[in-house]
Amino acid sequence: MLLIYEEYFYIFILFIVSFGLACIILGASYFFSVQRADTEKFSVYECGFNPYEDSRNKFEIRFFLIAILFLIFDLEAMFLFPWAVSLSQINSFGFWTMLDFLIELLIGYVYVWKIGALNWT
Amino acid sequence: MEFIYQNNFKMFLPEIFLALSVLILTVHGSFLTTSRIFNFPLLTKSFAHLSILVLALTSVLFFNNVIPFMLTYQNSFIFDPLSCNVKKILTITSLFCLYISIDSILKNVITSFEYFILLLCAILGLNLLISSYDLLSLYLALELQSLCLYVLASKKKSSFSSEAGLKYFFLGSFSSAVLLFGVSILYGCLGTTNFENFSLLLTFPYGQSLQALVPLLEKALVCIALAFFFKVGAAPFHMWAPDVYEGSPISSTIFFAIIPKIALFSIFLRFFQSIFLTFTDTFIFLLSTVSLLSVIVGSFGALQQKKLKRLLAYSSISHVGYLLLAFASNSLEATQALFFYLIIYTITSFCIWSIVLSLDNSQNKSKNKTLTDFTLIVSQNSLLGFTSFLAFFSLAGIPPLAGFFAKMEIFIFALGSSLFFLSFIAILSSIISCFFYIRLIKNVYFEKNHENFFIFPVSRSCSLILAISSFLLVFLFFDPILLLLLSQKLSLCLFF
Repeated sequence: MLLIYEEYFYIFILFIVSFGLACIILGASYFFSVQRADTEKFSVYECGFNPYEDSRNKFEIRFFLIAILFLIFDLEAMFLFPWAVSLSQINSFGFWTMLDFLIELLIGYVYVWKIGALNWT
Repeated sequence: MEFIYQNNFKMFLPEIFLALSVLILTVHGSFLTTSRIFNFPLLTKSFAHLSILVLALTSVLFFNNVIPFMLTYQNSFIFDPLSCNVKKILTITSLFCLYISIDSILKNVITSFEYFILLLCAILGLNLLISSYDLLSLYLALELQSLCLYVLASKKKSSFSSEAGLKYFFLGSFSSAVLLFGVSILYGCLGTTNFENFSLLLTFPYGQSLQALVPLLEKALVCIALAFFFKVGAAPFHMWAPDVYEGSPISSTIFFAIIPKIALFSIFLRFFQSIFLTFTDTFIFLLSTVSLLSVIVGSFGALQQKKLKRLLAYSSISHVGYLLLAFASNSLEATQALFFYLIIYTITSFCIWSIVLSLDNSQNKSKNKTLTDFTLIVSQNSLLGFTSFLAFFSLAGIPPLAGFFAKMEIFIFALGSSLFFLSFIAILSSIISCFFYIRLIKNVYFEKNHENFFIFPVSRSCSLILAISSFLLVFLFFDPILLLLLSQKLSLCLFF
């Protein structure tokens, strides 16, 4: 087997297992649950406005603010995972670099909080 | 691995100071503006002075930094006389820039303290950009500064300002994408993003394997050059400049007009020196085409402008054209002339923008200025009139002013590199651009005025900068030795 296949074989197994597991969970919840549909249940969840309507309507900007803030912290997780995996190889410099990043992110979070961007009212 | 990182923070101390003070100012501002005990204070004025203090301290740190030759963080940042000196120039100019625009910031009702934090972030990004020696650090620093500038453009409470910010953002992110595309092709071809490795790989007479890659490499370099031309606002990519200049608040316009060009030219000169020695023909063709278009578009576009900021935007396009002409000449002397021109252009821009800031009269209060606002300012403030006379003549390149000397050097060295046609066209359009500068001077001195108004007195900060810059404009014509030595030093770093 080629080296590249050997390296990616585990990822392939992970892919197969996670795909299968997702199918099973989704299918089971579809078949075994009690389904009584009403308009509340079919409406779009927490999205602010209907997906299919005139694009020139006014909409609430706060949804986008929350989404953007969510994205920032999502990206933080994206940086944290590879850091956590490779922590044994990047020694103290890598460790403190990440802590520096986290502190700066924390300051951004404090700013967002104090300025009231998270308040819904 | 560990020893690579030791002692490296020492060189970065000014930048670390700047970054830390940005963080501290953020926390300070966010806690103080929302505090009920102090009755939700407006922090604009105190933040303006605090950020001036921060910039002054940063420039002191830069001036006290010892200049070694040093590569840090796995060769992704460089410290040599070029980067250190350009950083000094940049910090000082941004300090002055903030200093003259404080009044207009306070007048324009920019109430958010974030304005200054973004400004400091942009300056931090530009400082990192100057010393970056790797395409990755270059890209990150470029994005840091341009993201801040997009927000600064849209800080005025008007739809034009939002339009300016949005336009700048879309076009700027497009150009960044083109830059990234070029970088990815380069990485795909050469397997490295480091400038030193580029020069090692390419300046040596390379073998058969690299020979096959040359067309692809040229395409990558064209992509990167396009992004650079966009960021400095050279001609086929200049569309954003007049709108953004016109729409954004004047304090941001001054920043856009003066500061980023210094950093961008120094970093891209370094990059192209490291890589383009092998591609001289493509390189000179590209640069001279863009330079030709810039000088033509700049001088002909400015003829029709009625608004002052748009006129100055077109004038900056043509000046970028002259700078690119020096860039295309691709010799040590021409690079020296480029730095000389850049510094003198910065001084002249300071003079002109402080004049624009002090044009407020009783009728056009806090509106965007048009050319008619220059009408007969000499009758009310003769010194301001004389200063604008000096500034516009220097911009047009009339002796005995510093602008003449700078322009002459560029043309001489362009002729020395046998760019005859290009310098012929550049001289012709320089004559055309003389027309609208002289028209402004005619407005100042000879126009008939039918309206009654009085000009507000010039603010103290503006008058200080006006005095210094107009003195330098005359002085540097008679004694340019110091500046010539400085620009010589900067250009020597690139070639040896």
